[in-house]
Amino acid sequence: MTARFLFLLTSLFSIELHAQFGPDNGLKASEPKFILLQNATIMVKPGQTLTNTDLLLHNGKIVQVGKNLKQDGAVALDYTNKVLVPSFIELYSSVGLDPIAFKNNGWRPQLESNKEGAFYWNEAVHPELNASSAFKFINNSTDQLQQSGFGFALTHYMDGVVRGSAAFVALGQTDIHKQLLLPKAAQFYSFAKGASKQSYPSSQMGSIALLRQALYDLDYYKKNQNNLAYSVSLAEWESICKLPTIFKTNDKWEILRAQKIANEFQTSFVYIGAGNEYAIVDELKKINAQLVLPLTFPEAYEVNDPYLAREIPLSELKHWELAPSNAMLLQKAGIPIAFTSFGLKNADQFWLGLRKAIARGLSATDAMAALTSVPADMLGIGAQVGTLEAGKYASFSVFSADPFAFEAQLLETWNLGVARYWKTHNNSNLSGTYSIQLPETTYELVVSGTPDKPQGKVVYKTNTDTLTTKATILLKEQDVAIQFMAIGTNQPKLIQLHAKVLKNGKVLEGDGTDAKGSWFHWSAIQHQATPSPAAVALQKDTTTYGQAWFPNMAFGTVAQANQQTVLFKNATVWTNEKEGIVKGADVLVVGGKIKDVSRQNISAPAGARIIDAAGLHLTSGIIDEHSHIAISKGVNEGGQAITAEVSIANVVNPDDIDIYRQLAGGVTAAQLLHGSANPIGGQSALIKLKWGATPEEMLIDNAPKFIKCALGENVKQANWGDFNTIRFPQTRMGVEQVFYDGFYRAKAYQKEWDDFRAAKTKMAPRVDLELEVLAEILRSERYITCHSYIQSEINMLMHVADSMGFRVNTFTHILEGYKVADKMNKHGVAGSTFSDWWAYKFEVNDAIPYNAALMTEQGVLVCINSDDAEMGRRLNQEAAKSIKYGGLTEEQAWKLVTLNPAKVLHLDDQMGSVKTGKAADLVLWTAHPLSVEARVSITMIDGVIYYEEAVQANKQQQMEQERVRILSLMLAAKDRGEIAVVPQKKVKHHYHCDTLGEDATQTENTH
Amino acid sequence: MKVTLLVFAILWSSTLGAQRILLLNGTAHIGNGNVLESAAIGVINDRIAFVKNSLTQSFPSKDWDTIINCNGQHFYPSFVSANNTLGLTEIDAVRATRDFNDVGDWNPHVRAQIAFNVESRVVETVRTNGVLLVQATPRGGWISGSSAVMKLSGWNWEDATVLADDGIHLNWPSDPKNYAAQKRAIYQFFELAKTYALDRDDQISDLRLEAMKACFVANKRVYIHAETIQQIIDIIDFAASFSLAYPVIVGGRDAHLVGAKLRDSKIPIMLSRVHSLPSREDDLTFLPYQVPGLLKAQGIPFCIQNDGDMQPMNTRNLPFQAGTTVAYGLTNEEALSSISLSVCHIMGIDKDYGTLEAGKKATFFVSKGPALDMRTNLLTTILVDGKLVSTTNFQEQLYLKYRQKYRAD
Repeated sequence: MTARFLFLLTSLFSIELHAQFGPDNGLKASEPKFILLQNATIMVKPGQTLTNTDLLLHNGKIVQVGKNLKQDGAVALDYTNKVLVPSFIELYSSVGLDPIAFKNNGWRPQLESNKEGAFYWNEAVHPELNASSAFKFINNSTDQLQQSGFGFALTHYMDGVVRGSAAFVALGQTDIHKQLLLPKAAQFYSFAKGASKQSYPSSQMGSIALLRQALYDLDYYKKNQNNLAYSVSLAEWESICKLPTIFKTNDKWEILRAQKIANEFQTSFVYIGAGNEYAIVDELKKINAQLVLPLTFPEAYEVNDPYLAREIPLSELKHWELAPSNAMLLQKAGIPIAFTSFGLKNADQFWLGLRKAIARGLSATDAMAALTSVPADMLGIGAQVGTLEAGKYASFSVFSADPFAFEAQLLETWNLGVARYWKTHNNSNLSGTYSIQLPETTYELVVSGTPDKPQGKVVYKTNTDTLTTKATILLKEQDVAIQFMAIGTNQPKLIQLHAKVLKNGKVLEGDGTDAKGSWFHWSAIQHQATPSPAAVALQKDTTTYGQAWFPNMAFGTVAQANQQTVLFKNATVWTNEKEGIVKGADVLVVGGKIKDVSRQNISAPAGARIIDAAGLHLTSGIIDEHSHIAISKGVNEGGQAITAEVSIANVVNPDDIDIYRQLAGGVTAAQLLHGSANPIGGQSALIKLKWGATPEEMLIDNAPKFIKCALGENVKQANWGDFNTIRFPQTRMGVEQVFYDGFYRAKAYQKEWDDFRAAKTKMAPRVDLELEVLAEILRSERYITCHSYIQSEINMLMHVADSMGFRVNTFTHILEGYKVADKMNKHGVAGSTFSDWWAYKFEVNDAIPYNAALMTEQGVLVCINSDDAEMGRRLNQEAAKSIKYGGLTEEQAWKLVTLNPAKVLHLDDQMGSVKTGKAADLVLWTAHPLSVEARVSITMIDGVIYYEEAVQANKQQQMEQERVRILSLMLAAKDRGEIAVVPQKKVKHHYHCDTLGEDATQTENTH
Repeated sequence: MKVTLLVFAILWSSTLGAQRILLLNGTAHIGNGNVLESAAIGVINDRIAFVKNSLTQSFPSKDWDTIINCNGQHFYPSFVSANNTLGLTEIDAVRATRDFNDVGDWNPHVRAQIAFNVESRVVETVRTNGVLLVQATPRGGWISGSSAVMKLSGWNWEDATVLADDGIHLNWPSDPKNYAAQKRAIYQFFELAKTYALDRDDQISDLRLEAMKACFVANKRVYIHAETIQQIIDIIDFAASFSLAYPVIVGGRDAHLVGAKLRDSKIPIMLSRVHSLPSREDDLTFLPYQVPGLLKAQGIPFCIQNDGDMQPMNTRNLPFQAGTTVAYGLTNEEALSSISLSVCHIMGIDKDYGTLEAGKKATFFVSKGPALDMRTNLLTTILVDGKLVSTTNFQEQLYLKYRQKYRAD
């Protein structure tokens, strides 16, 4: 849309919404009292369209909608054949706001807030930012929104976790004093830290903890305002916290994460979605989610090079396929949806996206509602905006046809009664055949194309021949310019013509120049007219599309796996119980539990799957005590030395291929640990590797509470470069003091609450999520798993624990455990170690592969863990190394990765051995499980078979078919003219103990 | 235990004079696919004199300085770890110990041989699992430098050297965006190097190009590090266009997909670490375990190497990586070859190393059980070029020391 088409009639139609406080320069502006749009087609609201109807406007509002309206003094305008649609409402924008400036701190980590003033301690929490007070008159910057049909926007500072209040504004070129319709219409949250340079939070779990803590602080501030110092942030937040709260998410799972916070604080959020919500429709239905969906769909890939095409993961292909169906699938499930144009580059993309969503089966009515009444209701302002009914704002768009059913043109946008003209409806139809009379020759001009974009060719007939050449035709309202190379002469000559379009295109008349530059007069008469094509109806997409898998990626399943009744016959069963290794035993699984283990023949219940396990070994599932797979956006919250408030359980990611890979290695459960970036890290997630389940389903019910602590080089940032020398501690000496300080503060905190609960004090203390967790440790309600290497630090932490009256549950890594096994025994701490890793940093100089065996020999409860996505799937081999290094028995070795971790995690009442009553977390091996040649035949969790070697070939075939099916759709899309981009090889990165920030890296792992 | 004592005695006794060592009654895994039960191996000085059936022959004890009875144990040729920074770095995270990556894009002249630390504490923990030879290899740039094949026993790098400057290591471009330009830069460098190599002027005028010379006029290998199909087929063309006598592809995760074209090119593959995750989300879960078997089935020459995270210390797990392939398509003896004879063949040292055969260097070991399985890889005797080497290491000593502490307590 070029500026040429803009005609502003502000001076004529300007209407006062509010009293004008300022003086006019010169005479008072002239304006009509009433405007009457006559004979329009009015799409009053979703599902109601009135034809030949009038719309009466006054003072920026709608006075009346009806047939044959009369009003004295009204400027009457004819809107025959034009369609009026209520202005769309954009909920996610920052129109009229400049980005927030954060103070640059240089290259060193910034631990504290750099913001001067009585603001919240963390720069990512800025509820005091008020969009209305900074909102600027919006000029052409909203053209894209207006061309997309939007007349209203909710604008806010698009940055940070607690973002502040949003203003509801009218778009268009009205007076700034009228645009701010609702200065505080909503407030915004997100899990993205934004532009703040402060170290904390550096992970999504950190953002979650920060938001929760801030909400507790808000509550505390509300209740104790009179006794507390004034906080600009909290005071302002208090005034806006009852507003509709909109939560920006970047992935479907973030919605479920945010909803937990909504539940905790008894509030509700409207979610700005990421576009992949279709994969968890049922979960979203359960929480009654309200969603605002993007119309940014992934671009197709260039798939003609098979080498490159194979680099596109199925997850991306499947998302490409289903993203445009997102709205339809959610709407079908009864989930209220709105649309945002956020992320789109221009208005054409908006219309393309919207029409794609409609083509995929979203009804026209629902599409209209998603842009008008639904967002209005989400903000609770349905009485003012969202439909074209009397009393509402006179904001609407004028189209050449119903834009939800036809490829309509946007002609005008009216904002608060002020019109902006984008395009003139072209009544002239040039399509047809003209005779052009030029001074020397007569040509035939054939015009085709659409009324707005005519295309032409010139035909010249001689006695013997018919010659044609292309003519370019530019039509601007009633002026047409035609240009072509004259034919039929020896030398082609450029002819340029200009004409006025007369009689609706029947006659063209004007001047032109020939090759010599001489001017001449010319005219043309249309002797044959082609009927103008009616508005092009939107086509339904009749392609059959696939469905989301569980999870929606390679190795996903079409439906979630089910529990089965299974009878393993004649297996060599590694019971991990006093029976030891039992040959020729049967194991019956019913209802997710082990029903019976017997050397006697067990008869199969009806419907049971019988698995002949003769020659095969059946064991309980491997439990990885130390894992970092299946985690979203950050394994470390390294922003502070103590981050007990964060929890991996908040960020479990079911869409990680490593879950499947570990199942294939016989792993059934894992402790997902926080990293080792700080002395007291975050809480663990204890999960079962249920492929295709939700995060909540993966978390083990009523699992004991764990937290990761860490010692040594990582926590003192020894290998993090010379700029990381700011955060305390930088030495092992400092590490000890961090622990003491934390636990003494937790003790005091506990006392404060005890006193309050015993009614000794009146004022409820502030909830401190960090100290809550440390107090749980002191009360022995939460176990510590502590990353540790050398004996000095190991002994130190045991001293700290002894003196504070709790027990360290597990030392992980514990590579010098063999030196202090006696002390560990005395303290009662378990050791979870690597089989043979060392030489990766200075503190592992004395690490020896005999560690597991020697600790075991000394009576320490020992596990072997992976801490590594690759090693995690061959923990059976790692356990076997303890036979070589230190001579453990095979049963002892096997327990290192099964029963012992179950005990260490206090889950041995439900897993860790093959025993009647325990969970059916079982693995069937093709050979002796400690053999280098053992493969997993079947992995079962809670009686559900999640991995089966025998079906891998079928699975691969199914995946290949799915790939080919979607690649064909991509080729077809490209043929239709959709953009296709060149694929890049995707390298999967992994989280390690020392990975910082939200993104996994491929750096060397220093554990 | 007796054997161990004997070994110690020999260690301390003498390194002078002709050594005649006889090892009796073991299962000899030759390294070329063959197995000889109840084998006797005679070692004279630094070479294997014979590998015979010990039941059908008699071996007068007076002919031997040392006789080791290996009742039921297993003889293996040295495992050989190609493409490794072992000996060039000690502690990954300590920059002062990292001697494998120098400044510059074109470094064929930097030589791993002279930086090799024979006293590395990592080396002794690797040796005790049967890896007695390593190709010490630099990293970085387009050409990282020249590698060297080293024994994991010696007083200094000079006497630990098996083959100095055995090859240069070229990192083939992988970024699709700049691929054509980067590939052109490599062609240009090789054109320059080849012109220099074939020039009759013997004056050394360019150290960098001098280091490339043997790649064109002698046996120096050109090790080309690459993984994907596109890279591999381009390397086949590249090797042909420069008539390289000994090109080798290092990595080659996609090699099994190239098939006949690769086989016909006769370019061998030093295959990426078996114990690794597939490089693509959609790849078969155990693809890296399967690739050796897939290459074997297609007749593509290959060996297994261990490049990757923490590679020096992980070298001791090379046998178990080979062992893992046995469940995925290789036989035990093929798996052994992939870390013994095949490696030596690719590097050009198979005349002296790689199998238990008469005439080869006596660089082999005795293990209580099958050495490709973690449980039974237990070395009782190690010989490097005919010299007995300690079967313990500082880690075992620390183990024994603290075990003793608890016993004393």
